[in-house]
Amino acid sequence: HAETVLKASHQWPGGKGDVRDEMVQILAREVAKSDVDLRIQVYPGKSLFKPREQWGAMVKGVLDISAFPLDYASGRHPEFSATLMPGLVRNHDRALRLNTSPFMQDIKKVINDAGVVVLADAWLAGAFASKKQCITGPESMKGQVTRAAGPAFEQMLVGAGASIASMPSSEIYTGLQTGVLDAANTSSGSFVSYRIYEQATCLTKPGANALWFMYEPLLISKRSWDKLNKEQQDALMAAAKVAEDYFVGEAKGLDDKLVEAYSDAGVEVVEMSGDDYQAWLDIAKETSYKAFAEKVEGGQELIDKALAVQ
Amino acid sequence: MSPLFSGLLVLLALLALLGIGTPIAFALGFVSIVALLIVDGAGSLSILGETFFGGLASFGLVSIPMFILMGSAVASSPAGKDLYEALDRWLNRVPGGLVLSNIGACSIFAALSGSSPATCAAIGKMGIPEMTKRGYPNEIASGSIAAGGTLGILIPPSITMIVYGIATETSIGRLFLAGLLPGAMLTALFMAWTIYDCRRRGIGLSALTERFTMKERFSALPRVLPFLAIIVGILYVLYGGVATPSEAAGVGALFCIVLVVVIYRMWSVSKVTNMFRDTLKESVMIMMIIGASELFSYTLSSLFVTQSIAEWIAALDVNRWVLMAIINFFLLFAGFFLPPVAVILMTAPILLPIILQAGFDPYWFAVVLTINMEIGLITPPVGLNLYVINGIAPDITLGEILRGSIPYVMCMVVGIVLLCFIPGIATWLPELMMGR
Amino acid sequence: MTLYIRWVSALSRLAAVAALLLLASAILVVTQMVVIRYFLNASTVWQTEFVIYALVAMTFLASPFVLMEKGHVNVDLIYMHLHGPFLKIVQSLAGLFGLVFCALLAWSGWTYFEEAWSYGWTTDTVWALPLWIPLLPLPLGIGLMTLQYVAELAKIWRGEPA
Ligand code: NA
Ligand code: NA
Repeated sequence: HAETVLKASHQWPGGKGDVRDEMVQILAREVAKSDVDLRIQVYPGKSLFKPREQWGAMVKGVLDISAFPLDYASGRHPEFSATLMPGLVRNHDRALRLNTSPFMQDIKKVINDAGVVVLADAWLAGAFASKKQCITGPESMKGQVTRAAGPAFEQMLVGAGASIASMPSSEIYTGLQTGVLDAANTSSGSFVSYRIYEQATCLTKPGANALWFMYEPLLISKRSWDKLNKEQQDALMAAAKVAEDYFVGEAKGLDDKLVEAYSDAGVEVVEMSGDDYQAWLDIAKETSYKAFAEKVEGGQELIDKALAVQ
Repeated sequence: MSPLFSGLLVLLALLALLGIGTPIAFALGFVSIVALLIVDGAGSLSILGETFFGGLASFGLVSIPMFILMGSAVASSPAGKDLYEALDRWLNRVPGGLVLSNIGACSIFAALSGSSPATCAAIGKMGIPEMTKRGYPNEIASGSIAAGGTLGILIPPSITMIVYGIATETSIGRLFLAGLLPGAMLTALFMAWTIYDCRRRGIGLSALTERFTMKERFSALPRVLPFLAIIVGILYVLYGGVATPSEAAGVGALFCIVLVVVIYRMWSVSKVTNMFRDTLKESVMIMMIIGASELFSYTLSSLFVTQSIAEWIAALDVNRWVLMAIINFFLLFAGFFLPPVAVILMTAPILLPIILQAGFDPYWFAVVLTINMEIGLITPPVGLNLYVINGIAPDITLGEILRGSIPYVMCMVVGIVLLCFIPGIATWLPELMMGR
Repeated sequence: MTLYIRWVSALSRLAAVAALLLLASAILVVTQMVVIRYFLNASTVWQTEFVIYALVAMTFLASPFVLMEKGHVNVDLIYMHLHGPFLKIVQSLAGLFGLVFCALLAWSGWTYFEEAWSYGWTTDTVWALPLWIPLLPLPLGIGLMTLQYVAELAKIWRGEPA
């Protein structure tokens, strides 16, 4: 009998030690070890699909496995915006508790109904950096031209008086350098890989009160899943568990690397206080949460469920 | 079937379709679809639209039509003529002076236009007839413009650099800076050859007798000022913290249109429509090729051809300069058949990891790649600049243009060799202005 | 056939005029965006997306016109060496490949548009523009290009300059 080959696509550099690439590679290696006539062919670094085309391709069964920020599909399922919403996660420990909460059960139901299955959960933290003024409370954001990661963050930052400039994360460096940008918000990993420490003067690290978290699960197309036999499905799930455990162990490490890189470069490193965090939540309630609740049916309940998690 | 073999089949099919004259964009698209249908089944048809649309919907690509429009706006006015006439008053006492003026005008115009064919058209439209009228042979008149026009993608702004920046996630602002000195270097090489060649063959010497007074020379300069104003303006918008490259392109396009309308009084509807029509034709042609190239890249990656070629090159395990030579030949070959944007979208994903692995600078490599693409623009079967010259001067045969441009192609090869020995020509300015 | 060619060509010109207006509007919007941010230090919400989609729409809508004007670059070396019916056959063959590709792209674009329309998809940004709006020019423009291609093939056999 012939071996089943599954295509796995993601957007991060392959074989360079990127944690998110490694998560997919582990899945492939573990499945290969289990000897169930199943092989995963990894296409890293956007070498197959553009990041935002991966969801559609999985739904159609053209792509089997992928990992990407779920928010990319929020145009099709507005509920997914809740997975890149300010202040719903706060820290890595709480992210783990969120995974099994009614909030994520609702999100996963939407994912399943769309024809996609979650193999492994993954949450990434992010940070803020500025060359003008340290970003702590909302008042520190006023008047800063900022590149934000995610629409819900744009809404909140505008609410705090920032002005938004859109650009891909690869242009943040030049943006800060030429002065188009005063500040930027993106994931901890991107802050390091794009060497933004050379331009920023102050970093707001994720810490105990991280405003920015993003859900970036490992997914498989339902069509591809259904074609596998029970043995293969079990092997895939077991492999996904190994990948998820690896990721959980590394996620905090990404934040540590971020702080290290910025301290080494002589950048001031600060963190949000509990009061700062609360002040941001108050703005989020009036901006991004409000917009979400208006746009998504049951949106307010979804946010309440996320906030209810201890 | 091994990936390399299926890659070969795809390549042969593509060459066959190109050979019978199918437009490049549609040939790329057709071959991709058929390969995907055979290998992945009918499902792949369903993502055709999304892949094509997604390939074009990027803010980075927005700058392409804008930078083309900047060039077309100026090209539609008599500005190109003003430019080389002003230069001619200063250079006419040098052998080949008019040719030098045209090359210099190409080089200045290149700083306004992101496209090579547009640069070629803008200066050649008036420059070629003037050169032949003053007794320069067809070869020199057409070859110098064909070659000078290619500076359009080396001297910033540059469509090629924009597409490279998007494909490799490198900074477009920094890429632009990297191309500036190499552009000046090629201009100097072109001019040096021209002086040598004209003196050796004793042509264009009649103009040597005509003398312009210093007053006449200076009085021509104001006509060049608007160009310099735009160039300085764009540089300020780009590097002075006003806007991103895409935004700068839009602002620059508006500047140029207003300038041309005001200074050259080109406000009749038909004249404005003409400049927009030229822009539409070139940008739509390029954008369709970009969309189709995305599809083609997807196909090659899906068939694992891209990855196999990369592995194969990596396994060669040769000296890095031998590797660079192989890559240059490969790029030259691709440039014969395909326009620059297509070559970059298809090869950058394969080549960049190898280049970085071998310890080359990605910005330096962008310049080397661009000069290779410039050569491709003036070599058949697909040479966009050749088509432009043919449109301007139908009487000049392809053979004459090619004979005329060969020495300039040699200059470009010399340029690449110089860049290999002195990488600082490309990397010094970006490092000076933007740090390491 | 003459009537068909005349009508399709007129439609292609009309679409090109729409494309031209989109290009002009994109330039104005980019400039407005820079002014708003740089001089007024205010936020822009819809401008970036508008410009992207206006220029994608420009590409699809002007494509039939560019085909009519022979602006989609091709290799024509072989045509210089062929004559009479032989030339026409090779030209038709080349056109046929292009026609098939355009038809498939138009059809696939239509299904994408139709999905976006019926499921109410939007763009994944603050603006959340209904996705069918930027998608519509794809089936419209490329569909028209397919029709224009039929006209171009007809022109070959009618002995018009091809
Ligand atoms: Na240029
Ligand atoms: Na060529």
